Amino acid sequence: MLGKLMKYEWKATWKLLLPANLVLVVMTLIAWWMTNMVEYSRAEFQMIDFMEVMVILTYVISMFAVYIGTAIFLIYRFYTSTYGDQGYLLHTLPVDTHHIILAKVFVSASWLLINSVMMIGSILFLFTAREDAFFTMMEGVMDVVEYMGGEEITMFTMVMTLVAYVFSLFARVLKVSACISLGQLSSNHKLLLSFAWYIGVYIVECICQGLFFAVRLAFQKHVSSWTYYSYYDTQWETTLLAGIIGCVVFYVLTWYVMSRKLNLE
Amino acid sequence: MNMAPMVQCMGLTKTYGRKIALNQIYLNLERGRIIGLLGPNGSGKTTLIKIMNGLLRPTSGEVLINGQRPGVETKLRISYLPERTYLQPGMKVIELVQYFQDFYPDFRLDRAYDMLARLQIPPQERLKNLSKGTKEKVQLIMVMSRDADLYILDEPIAGVDPASRDYILNTIVSNYNRNGSILLSTHLISDVENVLDDVVFIKYGSIVLQAGAEQIRQNEHKSVDQFFREVFAC
Repeated sequence: MLGKLMKYEWKATWKLLLPANLVLVVMTLIAWWMTNMVEYSRAEFQMIDFMEVMVILTYVISMFAVYIGTAIFLIYRFYTSTYGDQGYLLHTLPVDTHHIILAKVFVSASWLLINSVMMIGSILFLFTAREDAFFTMMEGVMDVVEYMGGEEITMFTMVMTLVAYVFSLFARVLKVSACISLGQLSSNHKLLLSFAWYIGVYIVECICQGLFFAVRLAFQKHVSSWTYYSYYDTQWETTLLAGIIGCVVFYVLTWYVMSRKLNLE
Repeated sequence: MNMAPMVQCMGLTKTYGRKIALNQIYLNLERGRIIGLLGPNGSGKTTLIKIMNGLLRPTSGEVLINGQRPGVETKLRISYLPERTYLQPGMKVIELVQYFQDFYPDFRLDRAYDMLARLQIPPQERLKNLSKGTKEKVQLIMVMSRDADLYILDEPIAGVDPASRDYILNTIVSNYNRNGSILLSTHLISDVENVLDDVVFIKYGSIVLQAGAEQIRQNEHKSVDQFFREVFAC
């Protein structure tokens, strides 16, 4: 049944999200073409500089719009199909609650992953329009990573960083699912309560991160102003651990509400 | 063969804050019967039905369907029509049929297409393009195309015109699995009276009467509708 649930989840989301991602591709191509053209014609046409700025601006806005729009659509989809009117059909299907959660989370996380890949790919592709800019950017990225983490970048580190990112992505999706689910425990103002749960969970996360950092700091010999950031942003172990803990905690919360406290009033 | 009652409620209570929606319900529903769950608006009919379908959890007490608590097994046996539209608007009718066929092993494809053809509903039509009444009929067709053990229909004729009521009742009576039971909730007694075998009166979250429809007519010398009006007179 998991496969069938996923099939229908893809069907319900791709009609909107695929065109949105195609818009991103088209905008990338236009921006690339514009950037490429301006480089060779800057001296003759001043007007084209203005056009380039406008195109790049539209490109950046469309990228944000697609990413934020995707997230909002997926949250809306989860809410309406699980706890809205469509939930009456979903929760009367002869399927296990685990399958319902897995199908929704996997499809949502996949779309966000696709979005991330598209955005990174788009930015890298755009920089290829100007070879010098591409290499400058890559050097800059490496410098920042080295400065913040001071860690030698190996293939293993890169793979584990990707794995950690995937876990943290799933944890973020499950966090939203858990907060929406917890909001359903109330008879009134369910959406407002879901938002309050999200804020509450975020505060708890910050406190836990702070405590974790303080404990690690106690064992460090050299402390700099960048250490704080480096231990969150460049060490895959921390991200992976936080991602796994997040996945487990938020999954259990979502499952508990759906299977033990379902409240479709 | 499982000889447990089709539905068994034992001390079922549901409260919303201080409000008591269901109060110590004890109820057994037998197999092969058409049962009317009758009561005015706000009497607890929908709450009871949602608990049977696992959409709500009782505050205390228990409900058993075919001897089992609401779960995957009971959902395989219950065909449920809620009082609202639960369809995904972007879906085509044919996709909805496929959806039901994918998830319910007892779904009868031929029966569904036969009923759709009689109502001249094009399978390629998107649900969002259908009128509210037609959407309700499509939903009813999906529910009645299953060979379920228990059909739970929540207010299937509320808010529809008399001609549509006849169609809906006819669809229900003509298509249900004869070995199964139907639990039909409504406050429009006169329209459904003739199809009911048994009736359950529910008032302020409590069962006030459970009897055969014929038994009421013989003992009280009045129709179920007249008796209902007497019991629930304000």
